[in-house]
Amino acid sequence: MLGVWLYFSLCSITFAQDSFQIEGSVVNANTLQPLEGANIIGKGLFSISSATGTFTIKNVVKGTYSLTISHIGYSSETATITVGPKMDTLKVYLRDTVTELEDVEVNGKTHKRKAQELATVSHTVSKDFLDKNRENSLMQTLKNIPGVSTINIGSGQSKPVIRGLGFNRVVVVQNSIKHEAQQWGNDHGLEIDQYGVETVKIIKGPASLQYGSDAIAGVVDIQALKLPGQNSLKGEVNLLGETNNDLLGVSAGIQGRKNKWFYRGRLTYRDYGDYKVPTDRINYENYIFELHDNNLRNTAGKEADASLGIGFISGNLKSETNFSNVNAKNGFFANAHGLEVRSSNIDYDSSNRDIDLPYHKVNHFKITNNTSVGIGNHTLQLDLGYQNNHREELSEPVPHGYMPTPPDSKERIFDKNTYTLNIKDSFSPNQRHDVAAGVNLEYQDNNIGGWGFLIPAYNRFTIGAFAYDQFEVHPNLHVLGGLRYDYGVLDSKSHYDWYPSTVNNSDGSTSYVYLQRAKNKTLDFGNISASLGISYIHKNTTYKVNLGKSFRMPLANELASDGVNYHMYRYERGNLDLDPESSYQLDLDIDHTTASFSFGASPFVNLFENFIYLNPTSNYYETLQIYEYTQSKVFRAGGEIRASTTVLKNLQLDASAEYVYSRQTSGPKKDFTLPFSPPLSGLFSASYQSKDFLFLGRPQVRADYRITAAQNEIVPPEEVTEGYQVLNMSFTAQMNLFKSAKPFDLRVKLNNVLNTHFYDHTSFYRLIDVPEPGRNLSISLTVPF
Amino acid sequence: MGFSTKIFFITILILVVASCTTDDNAAKDEQKPTIDINYNEGFPQACSQLVRGETYSFKAMVSDNAELASYSLDIHHNFDHHTHDDQDGECSMDPKKTAINPWIFIENYTIEDGLTTYEINIGLTIPNDIDTGDYHCSFSVIDETGWQSRTSVDIKIIE
Repeated sequence: MLGVWLYFSLCSITFAQDSFQIEGSVVNANTLQPLEGANIIGKGLFSISSATGTFTIKNVVKGTYSLTISHIGYSSETATITVGPKMDTLKVYLRDTVTELEDVEVNGKTHKRKAQELATVSHTVSKDFLDKNRENSLMQTLKNIPGVSTINIGSGQSKPVIRGLGFNRVVVVQNSIKHEAQQWGNDHGLEIDQYGVETVKIIKGPASLQYGSDAIAGVVDIQALKLPGQNSLKGEVNLLGETNNDLLGVSAGIQGRKNKWFYRGRLTYRDYGDYKVPTDRINYENYIFELHDNNLRNTAGKEADASLGIGFISGNLKSETNFSNVNAKNGFFANAHGLEVRSSNIDYDSSNRDIDLPYHKVNHFKITNNTSVGIGNHTLQLDLGYQNNHREELSEPVPHGYMPTPPDSKERIFDKNTYTLNIKDSFSPNQRHDVAAGVNLEYQDNNIGGWGFLIPAYNRFTIGAFAYDQFEVHPNLHVLGGLRYDYGVLDSKSHYDWYPSTVNNSDGSTSYVYLQRAKNKTLDFGNISASLGISYIHKNTTYKVNLGKSFRMPLANELASDGVNYHMYRYERGNLDLDPESSYQLDLDIDHTTASFSFGASPFVNLFENFIYLNPTSNYYETLQIYEYTQSKVFRAGGEIRASTTVLKNLQLDASAEYVYSRQTSGPKKDFTLPFSPPLSGLFSASYQSKDFLFLGRPQVRADYRITAAQNEIVPPEEVTEGYQVLNMSFTAQMNLFKSAKPFDLRVKLNNVLNTHFYDHTSFYRLIDVPEPGRNLSISLTVPF
Repeated sequence: MGFSTKIFFITILILVVASCTTDDNAAKDEQKPTIDINYNEGFPQACSQLVRGETYSFKAMVSDNAELASYSLDIHHNFDHHTHDDQDGECSMDPKKTAINPWIFIENYTIEDGLTTYEINIGLTIPNDIDTGDYHCSFSVIDETGWQSRTSVDIKIIE
């Protein structure tokens, strides 16, 4: 016994003879405030930072050590330090992360763990991902996630597509309120300031249970911003420049909190010119459009956004009110409006920054309030929302069919008000159950104007009630089951042409009639949604199985439209007998993650009982092809696979692939696919993080190589699209220019490095043979303060 | 790991099988019909001048791999130069002007069942009281599946 004691004390003495002391401090990289309680861990070394952020590790033998500095709510940092005489003190800057832990930590489970236990297949996108991958619109940024694609028109506008379905089949939620605009429209983008987004949850499957009608194919849930820390004040300015469309963008955000009150605000302005395509002429059918300086004529645009949020947090009450306004103006390619070839006297080529006709203007104003109160083991969540979406589509007035030249350029005007109320109660009757129940109410009032008619004015009221329970069978086995019922009333308003049409009567006479395009009609719909799923966690692997039924109420245009869409050369006829779409989906998800390697697969099988489809018929109406809203059975299957590994210490490789197979199994287009079906596509990425270099911290180089197969599965009026390969490169780093200031974030991105000429099957401009944008160099600088 | 690898490969297999089964492309009509006025009897040819009060036969050849269904003829004025045709060469245009009583001809026709080639032949007398000037004449055809093709030609109507 004495021998053992002696041995240890001797050892300590020996070590003490040539040992040193590591001293350092840990600070928050954004606020530069000291961080207390950070763990500093190295091989055989351990320390915790004090209230002043400092730490000391004594008795360290001479040598080189790698220390990991971590703190709850911050991303970990690794520092390499050479221990010896004349050592500097170590200073560590930690960045807070959004995804690490929730503010309210009930059972000490991380976000990640909670997501693993949840049976629904979802994907959470962090601020870090958004910052590194930022493209011209939020949806283009999210495109790098397997299973997510976009339908684009031009460089600044895109709408979400999840596993091949989009438009009104994907719900976008911001601050728990469904974003309501003119989602059905081909040339509609998403009116959300992407700089004001921190975390996005993507659900790739039917999610009506929680999100109601329209969440039939998936959800893009933009989550509430993280609460600022107590007594903090911080902000950032982001500057962005791009070469392809000569974009200049600036966004400035600020947030602060005293004790109980907090606030945040953001201003964003972007202005861009026509985008460049890697060709100097476009061949569309027999037409040839010569492009000036590779510019896609009249695709310039601008955007100005502002938002302000004020919140209060105290004890178990939290309430935040947000005001936001997004205003955008975008030009459309001038040589063709829709599919129609147009000539004009406008001198489009005099400047690549002017926005001439045809263009659209949109303003989206939104007020939301999110309040949650904890009462005993209940949490009551109340969400209130008001949105006004005002959209104007302007084009040169031109006569069409029996319509004479219209008096002005206001082709279509939409003005939509949406009022939302969600009430939800979550409670845990015991340790093993997490129960939630609630109601969602929504009222929409959609008005139309202008000389072109596409959809009728309507009012719509929907109410839905749901309940679900997550049951912990075993700490690693969770079952989630829920039921929902929705009821909706749609009241469409009558509409008459403003000009008379020539009608040949059966008795041989001719009359001139102001045709009725929509009728006054009240329709009501009811539907049940349900979901049942299991999550099983076994060591590093998570298995999920989920079966869901979702629905979507038919839209006013699907039910009641009766109008000529001259620019698409079609006449669209609604059908008042449409049933709500209902869809059944079986999802599997396997995820295996270890420190150095991870892979996952998420296959699915999906059946639509009555998919609403705009079917091109073989008949004409006033020389325009009749397209009819019909319902058909649809079978879909596919999924995503992903793998990533850290080959060397600083080299990470990622690979993913996505595929969807769609078939209409009944109806007039039996055996055909669905419109805008994304082709098989794979993305390979390699990123290398090198050591700090001069004033550059954590410099990282990344290459993304996308390989997309040809899309031979088409439906009229689409065309087969060839496959393509495109390379994007990026470089990110923190710039420590001034010792006292927080580091700047630098991002240099080179998209379409080889200026490849390719078509995207799901781009609206594909229909008129316009290729995707050419090479683009973008430089972004974020300056925190 | 072994178990999950197995599941992984099974799911890949399902994906591959799903992507390859029931591909009955052969039975599916994926071809647009064709439409053409560039043959001797095709009418009107680009930049033709048509005289008011005269009667003309508007002719185009259409064909399809499977079955033709219907066609249409649309003649409308282009006094504001809002569009141009898809034929070779540019026609000389009159100065822009405001329409007073423009000619509008809008008519649809069906093609009898079972045909894969057909010649459109529409006899039309140009009314005497309509505005003279630049007009745009467009033919279109749809097949049984719903594929459409169009062609258009710029013409002038003169006194």
